[in-house]
Amino acid sequence: MRWSPLARKEARTVVTSKGVWLLAVLMVLWGYRPSYIGWDGLGANITAGYVQIAGTVLLPLGVLLLTYQSIVGERTSGSVKFILGLPLTRTDILLGKVAGRTAGIAGPVAVACLVLGILGLVDHGVFNPILFLGMVLSTIVYVGVLVSIGTAVSAVAKRTVTAAGTVFGVIFLPLVLFWTQISTALFTQVTGTPVNPYEPPASGPLFLLLRLSPDGAYRVVSNWLLGVGNSANTYSHVLTKLEPQTQTNAYVVEATFAPGTAPLYLNEAVGLLILLVWAVVPLGFARYYFSRGDAV
Amino acid sequence: MSDPAILIEGLTKQYGSTTAVDDLTLTVASDEIYGFLGPNGAGKSTTIGMLMDYIRPTTGSISVLGQDPQRDVIDVHSRVGILPDRYSLYDRLSARQHLELVIDTKRVSESPAALLDRVGLNDVDGQSVGTFSQGMEQRLALAMALVGDPDLLVLDEPFTGLDPHGVRTVREIVHEENDRGAAVFFSSHVLGQVELVCDRIGILHEGRRVVEGTIDSLRAETPVGSDATVEEIFVAVTGGSGQSDEPSSETTQ
Repeated sequence: MRWSPLARKEARTVVTSKGVWLLAVLMVLWGYRPSYIGWDGLGANITAGYVQIAGTVLLPLGVLLLTYQSIVGERTSGSVKFILGLPLTRTDILLGKVAGRTAGIAGPVAVACLVLGILGLVDHGVFNPILFLGMVLSTIVYVGVLVSIGTAVSAVAKRTVTAAGTVFGVIFLPLVLFWTQISTALFTQVTGTPVNPYEPPASGPLFLLLRLSPDGAYRVVSNWLLGVGNSANTYSHVLTKLEPQTQTNAYVVEATFAPGTAPLYLNEAVGLLILLVWAVVPLGFARYYFSRGDAV
Repeated sequence: MSDPAILIEGLTKQYGSTTAVDDLTLTVASDEIYGFLGPNGAGKSTTIGMLMDYIRPTTGSISVLGQDPQRDVIDVHSRVGILPDRYSLYDRLSARQHLELVIDTKRVSESPAALLDRVGLNDVDGQSVGTFSQGMEQRLALAMALVGDPDLLVLDEPFTGLDPHGVRTVREIVHEENDRGAAVFFSSHVLGQVELVCDRIGILHEGRRVVEGTIDSLRAETPVGSDATVEEIFVAVTGGSGQSDEPSSETTQ
């Protein structure tokens, strides 16, 4: 690829930054959460569940913070003039940025997962290594999706502060932190059906909406791997919901729909498709705008 | 006869109601050293930005080495070396890593050490550029422009931040590159150096080219006398506004 040297530079820049290693340390501290419900549901494979917790909230925030400056920052400093002066199209530049930053963040994230794996091995005994590897890989795919979103914002923003505001106010807060509240409120607005999170209506569109955010789709896919249930909530939340005689505010397909009545689009594989859309569509828009007009 | 290194016709760039470059026409031959002069805000960097496809013209056409800088960006940039103005380097990378980025992207096999040696940066190979002085940064940026023996060197204010040794190095390299067969297009404020280096000069003022030619022909065209310096020609044709403090189109980018 023409953009490989640029990707190497980007990976090097990220991997030598303090931020990405701080993220890795925080992921370990954040992800390591032994619980009775997790142990009951997964046994020693609870260690693989830690990876999902590590990939929730903290990882999206960290990756967005590590990428929102990638292009607009170079525009502001003027270093983009070197990259733009190379034999690369502007599309090459976007692809090199995304590939390089993904690789640069994936390394430390994999190290964090490895540490979680060792801690889990010591605490809970031998887990299924294939399952664990699958969880790490899906988390790295999620990193790629987030890098793509952050880079897209960075390519379109004219100022660094706009990019920061966008990744935080338009991506992180609504799509990661408050997506459940937003999507249920949206559902109620449009359909007039109130949503009681403890007894949600068996509505295909509501459940689809909940997993349309990149964060929701990541959890659908990782819950699928863990085999805990079909849901955009965290695995321990799902396990709690599926316990008999417990009440919790999770949206789990098996707990709400009678067997065989859930629409096909709630299949977990659709979660992968949603992640793919998030990886491609924002970057596609960014490519359109970045390739036209002035780049400095 | 090969294509001109640069062929600009009717080039205009507007930012809102501000016209940064106004109907500029200019030709740089494939074997010459062309000095592109003008007061602050005259539109020099804007023009170079359009040559390099950093920014897009409002109207007009540009051909670089016979190709379209926008459509044929891969081909053009494979054959052009650029030392931009108001850039910044990557603080965490070493000088060698900067050069490797250019060498690997241009797919040429050159030794970073030899390039650094050429610009007088001998012992800094693995040092991160965060520790560099402005002059060292400028030398490294020049080395990056030299990668791959370009057919056209575009140097935007190459003397910025350089001590007299550095200035001499730039001058020598410009001559070496030209002797090798490269065209050199550079903008500068350091008029004494321009006189020593350039075959032809063009002076830009408020987005328009006011004069162009060899220094001798400009002495004849302008009422400054046959022993005038480039500075005297410059001041005469730009209305003495060399220190213009008007809002500059270059700072609005």
